[in-house]
Amino acid sequence: MCRRTALPVTSRLRERDKEELDFESKRTAEYAPKIVFNSSCKKCHTNLFPQDISDDGVAAHLYYEENEERLGLQCVSCHLDAGHYMPGYKHEKMTTAPVDTTGPVFTEPASVTSFKNFTETIPGTRASISMIAIPGGKFTMGSKEGDKFSRPDEYPAHEVTVSPFFMAEVEVTWNQYWAFYVETMSEGRTKPETIYANNSRPDVDAVAGPTPPFGMPDQGWGMGNRPAITMTHYAAETFCQWLSLKTGRHYRLPTEAEWEYAARGGTDTPYFFEGKPSAYSSMGLWNSIFGTDTTTINRYAVYALNSKSRTQEPSRVAANPFGLRNMLGNVMEYCQDWYAEDAYQKAGTSAVDPKGPATGTDYVVRGGCYQDDASELRCAARRHSDYEAWLKTDPQNPKSIWWLSDIKGIGFRVVCDAELNQRE
Amino acid sequence: MKEEGLSRRRFLTGAAAVGAAAVAAPTLLASCSGSSNKLTPLRKEGEYYVPELPDKAIDGPELKVGLVGCGGRGSGAIINLLDAADNIKVVALGDVFADRLNDVRNRLINERGQEVPEDKCFVGFDAYKQVIDSGIDMVILTTPPVFRPEQFKYATEKGVHSFLEKPIAIDPKGYRSVMATAKQAQAKGLSVVVGTQRHHERRYVEANKQIQAGLIGEITGGNVYWNQGMLWYRQREEGWTDMEWNIRDWVNWKWLSGDHIIEQHVHNIDVFLWMSGLKPVSATGFGSRQRRVTGDQYDFFSTDFTMENGIHMHSMCRQINGCSSKVSEFIQGSKGSWDSETNEIKDLQGNVIWKFDEEAVRKEFQQFDPYTLEHVDWVNHIRKGTAHEEASECAISCMAGIMGREAAYTGQTVTWDEMTQSPQDFLPEKLELGPLDLAAMTVPVPGN
Repeated sequence: MCRRTALPVTSRLRERDKEELDFESKRTAEYAPKIVFNSSCKKCHTNLFPQDISDDGVAAHLYYEENEERLGLQCVSCHLDAGHYMPGYKHEKMTTAPVDTTGPVFTEPASVTSFKNFTETIPGTRASISMIAIPGGKFTMGSKEGDKFSRPDEYPAHEVTVSPFFMAEVEVTWNQYWAFYVETMSEGRTKPETIYANNSRPDVDAVAGPTPPFGMPDQGWGMGNRPAITMTHYAAETFCQWLSLKTGRHYRLPTEAEWEYAARGGTDTPYFFEGKPSAYSSMGLWNSIFGTDTTTINRYAVYALNSKSRTQEPSRVAANPFGLRNMLGNVMEYCQDWYAEDAYQKAGTSAVDPKGPATGTDYVVRGGCYQDDASELRCAARRHSDYEAWLKTDPQNPKSIWWLSDIKGIGFRVVCDAELNQRE
Repeated sequence: MKEEGLSRRRFLTGAAAVGAAAVAAPTLLASCSGSSNKLTPLRKEGEYYVPELPDKAIDGPELKVGLVGCGGRGSGAIINLLDAADNIKVVALGDVFADRLNDVRNRLINERGQEVPEDKCFVGFDAYKQVIDSGIDMVILTTPPVFRPEQFKYATEKGVHSFLEKPIAIDPKGYRSVMATAKQAQAKGLSVVVGTQRHHERRYVEANKQIQAGLIGEITGGNVYWNQGMLWYRQREEGWTDMEWNIRDWVNWKWLSGDHIIEQHVHNIDVFLWMSGLKPVSATGFGSRQRRVTGDQYDFFSTDFTMENGIHMHSMCRQINGCSSKVSEFIQGSKGSWDSETNEIKDLQGNVIWKFDEEAVRKEFQQFDPYTLEHVDWVNHIRKGTAHEEASECAISCMAGIMGREAAYTGQTVTWDEMTQSPQDFLPEKLELGPLDLAAMTVPVPGN
């Protein structure tokens, strides 16, 4: 009786829930382990080595059995059809690189005669890169005392002078990355040092680049102008080597100082736009109950509250004062510096073009990504790559030097030296 | 199984009596000796496998057996099986070469009065499928080891119990295949016994009990050896194809044998892994070729293994005439050591505190041949219907051998993670008695 009368109410509630629930994010590999546990998988799948299992499957399951506890491996990180509501999912493999075939093939690199914005045209490809001229200047790097959400590695704030450079308007896109991939793709397991040294030789005219990715590296979100993701720092550096060789200009990853200088765009507030982290963040009791203010940040950044759990095209956001898009949010961006928690303590008070610590184990990554809370998107927030965690389910050994298996929101943007003379 | 009680152990010294008594009844030690250093077992009884080793297998309905690989080991193994159990019928034979097959067929007729019908004698690379499909219960797989993983897989798919001569995997692809098949065999309730016969050798089984009971304390390291003279080889004969020569001379070719660090020395590496229960995480080693006549293998290897808990095990193997021979295993513990050469356990002062008492054991058992006893155990598991597989344990030992080999061949330190996931695969795509790329089969040179 009660049930019958209650039904219309329930279904109205359900209708509303359906609209409010972000089903896309509930399908992600990050969400699945929260509702599907290994023990419940293994209750029925008692034999991880069924008769028709492939050699790849055996390799993966042996790796799983040996490392489940140590690395916290999840069944659903590989079996995406279970627990993700992705019926019919298959481990797809990219057969051909989805290179953009519209427009003309460039034959010459851009001609740049003065320190102004230009569009780099990569010879032999249809890819181009919009480059913004970033004037040199002095700025305060790091967080001010008492900045909300700041962490110890953002202190002390210190003055840094940065020379002029060009920086790509947007994070490297799939179109640009595939142009690189098809020209440099390699098989085999040459050591990174060997490849890098060889690529750096002035007399070498071809760069050895990535191996084919594990699956579909765009995660099914679409390629085109979306930022390329899941490449290693090493792959990002190799992209720069290739781009330099193709254009005769020196392209590279930004230093951490250049990155923060560019992100701030002349501002000295937590974001380059108006507003405070405490207002935008979903952390904290007040905001978690009453919701957060999103009006301004929504125009400039792709982050947890507006990303629908995926990267977005750069046209989605407005640029910062320098004309750069997605400096904050969308994907984290590699810098060339090694990460050290105490780097700022050793930075001095009047550094000019600092390059960070001489050695390290992980690299600086900046800007936060589509999955992050607004507090991670602060201009001063520092993070770093994490080799083990970002490759924990890669069953290959040695693990891939080109592709990451366990992080999605990582990409990069290139900078180019302001020195205009092309290399011979 | 009968308890092998205290009475059959000979106590050499007073100290030995204390030690051995402690093994049999650790809790008594304090009251007997007044000492408080109670033995801590590495693994308790029941937590590790101890084979039952009666002289002969239990009786039961007739079991039909097939033999794949009619070389020296195959012909030996089939006779071992017939010695181990009654009511076994050999119903099918397979080999790549008719002459080897006929040798075994004639031997069975002459020595055992068993005649395998001609239409159940299969020659060729696919003979294993035909043998396994001959309505057999159990199969002995004794071809050169590169073929073992595929054969084991097929037998298990068909629900046939396997005896796998060692080694059972000589490359990473084979290792993974065997690991998966072993789990499938276990799930199907099959009995899979492996030709690392020390697991069925009375003196090893008894020593292992002492070690597991804690007589040498925590295992802190080990040394294992297989140093012997030159192994046999076959020079090429008129009319042989490359493939025929390679297979007839298989112990000298990497792709067929995996090299002797696996083909032969896996026995000793396996003893350390078996008793310690540890896997290697990395291997550094070297080896070389000085004397071999045919093939592309090395004559010796020396390998330092780092085990998963950080201790080291050193392995050496050599096949050169006129050098010292030594085939044994030595395990060091925190309270003593065991040496299979003397069958003794010594304390840290060098006092013998335990020795395998063969004389006493012989009063109870007549069968001491481990090659027969492994078949006793195999048949018993089949007739009792108890699932039992030794393949995964042996495959891990083979993987250790693979690591040692690759460390020596390349000059690099190789890791467990790297090798278990490696695509290396020695099995040729096309199997036929034809030409091979012999020029590509060169002796590995480490370094640049």
